[in-house]
Amino acid sequence: MLTMTNLEGCYGRSRALTGVCLTVPKGQITGIMGRNGTGKTTLLKTIMGLTDNTQGTITLDGKDISAAPSHMRARAGIAYVPQGRGIIPDFTVRENIVMGGFANRSGRRAVPEKLAELFPYLTANLDRPGGLLSGGQQQQLAIARALAAEPDVVLLDEPNEGIQPSVVEDIERVILRMSREFGLTVVLVEQNIGFLRRAASTFAIMEKGRVAQTGRVEDLTDAIVDRHMTI
Amino acid sequence: MFDILFIGLSLSSILLLVALGLAVTYGAMGIINMAHGEMVMLGAYVAVLANIWLGANLLLAIPLAFVVTGALGYAMERMVVRRLYGRLLDTLLATWGIAILLQQAIRLEFGLVFFGLHVEGLGAGLQNVPVPGFLQATLTVFGQELNTYRLFIVAVTVVLTVLTWHVLYRTALGMKVRAIIRNPQMAAACGIDVRQTNSITFALGSGLAGVAGVLMAGFRSVSPDMGATMVVDGFMVVVTGGVGSLLGTVAAAGILGEINALTAITFNEITGRAAVLLVVILVILLKPAGLFSFKGR
Repeated sequence: MLTMTNLEGCYGRSRALTGVCLTVPKGQITGIMGRNGTGKTTLLKTIMGLTDNTQGTITLDGKDISAAPSHMRARAGIAYVPQGRGIIPDFTVRENIVMGGFANRSGRRAVPEKLAELFPYLTANLDRPGGLLSGGQQQQLAIARALAAEPDVVLLDEPNEGIQPSVVEDIERVILRMSREFGLTVVLVEQNIGFLRRAASTFAIMEKGRVAQTGRVEDLTDAIVDRHMTI
Repeated sequence: MFDILFIGLSLSSILLLVALGLAVTYGAMGIINMAHGEMVMLGAYVAVLANIWLGANLLLAIPLAFVVTGALGYAMERMVVRRLYGRLLDTLLATWGIAILLQQAIRLEFGLVFFGLHVEGLGAGLQNVPVPGFLQATLTVFGQELNTYRLFIVAVTVVLTVLTWHVLYRTALGMKVRAIIRNPQMAAACGIDVRQTNSITFALGSGLAGVAGVLMAGFRSVSPDMGATMVVDGFMVVVTGGVGSLLGTVAAAGILGEINALTAITFNEITGRAAVLLVVILVILLKPAGLFSFKGR
């Protein structure tokens, strides 16, 4: 379980999160929604320790990780799939995946076996430079890199943004399997309400840098969506 | 002609050794390390002192200088550079300050001169290191006479360049370094300890400069201010080759060293220097990212 209390995150001097409190249940998918600029990406970055002057507390399974540097959070079992995917273009597919293994607690740095079945394209092209892959393939690669760490928690920032529909289905299927088969806790920032309703068990809506509403996904009515998401 | 090219090759080798360290620290960490030349100077002084006080020859001084300058680089990163990441101009000023401190430390014999003590091998004057006998000979290859010391410089450079390449592209440490070059935040999010990796990288770069210093001590006199011009040469090589490209650094060192030798021997030393600067300016004008800049999506 990942809990955040009174979390504040800044970029330089501008504050992007103001007192976020959120509990992410273990082994389930929590959907984070909200309009642009409400702090969804900052929330994920703050969990990963990538923002400046973070205040408040973050605990992972009861352990306080608020003071830990990013690489220690990664080694505590949090993996991050950022917006824009963060692929190293001149690393091969294999190197990009193995890079995730630096956070693996068993010290194993290798391409995970289950990847062959999850992302057959990647396992067939391990020696291609990551920069030559399409957007959807890079997204799969970023997820594969996260899985190479064998994490407990995966933070996904709009994994389907700007990706062709046929690949979106593949990625959605993998996200569902991450929680249902592998038992991972997933924090999913997602604009697609349809997918979020199918995948997530709980949701949180962000507004102006704070959590405006949380609840079980069954209670996510169209009225709530309209109030917080329509422009 | 062949002998001129050979002299150029040995000049290129020294340039490359100085630039290799800079390529790593500047390319990987975005630090303009003005004290890099002083690491060359200190490496040369390690050779001087090892010869006087330990009776050790140049060959033994190479690993010794690598350890001493590497340790100093590590300390420098921990104490000063670490606090200045992302502040390019501040690193320039701070490391320049360190450079002056190091020069004065040698000139003033670590301050002992104020107490009337003199350490042989230090001080403001020129020092010389004898080259072991077997490196003073000339070798005849295909009818060409080759100076064995220059051959030795080239060989050491080849070995160290291959080693650097191996560390960067075939080890876990190298993977960390390259990941940090491209995306430090993502590297940290993948469990890479960016600060520790940077300290080690800085130490390795400084150690390479120290080795360059030992090799230089074998063919020119050693003085406290010899490093100041080296850092400029090093940066010229790195920028011409393309920041962050090992291949570019090797190629640029080769080209600039040969141009220097060819023009210096045909005309004179000053024309050689001018020709090198001209080529550097042309490259920067025509290919601002350097000869071998990194391409990617």
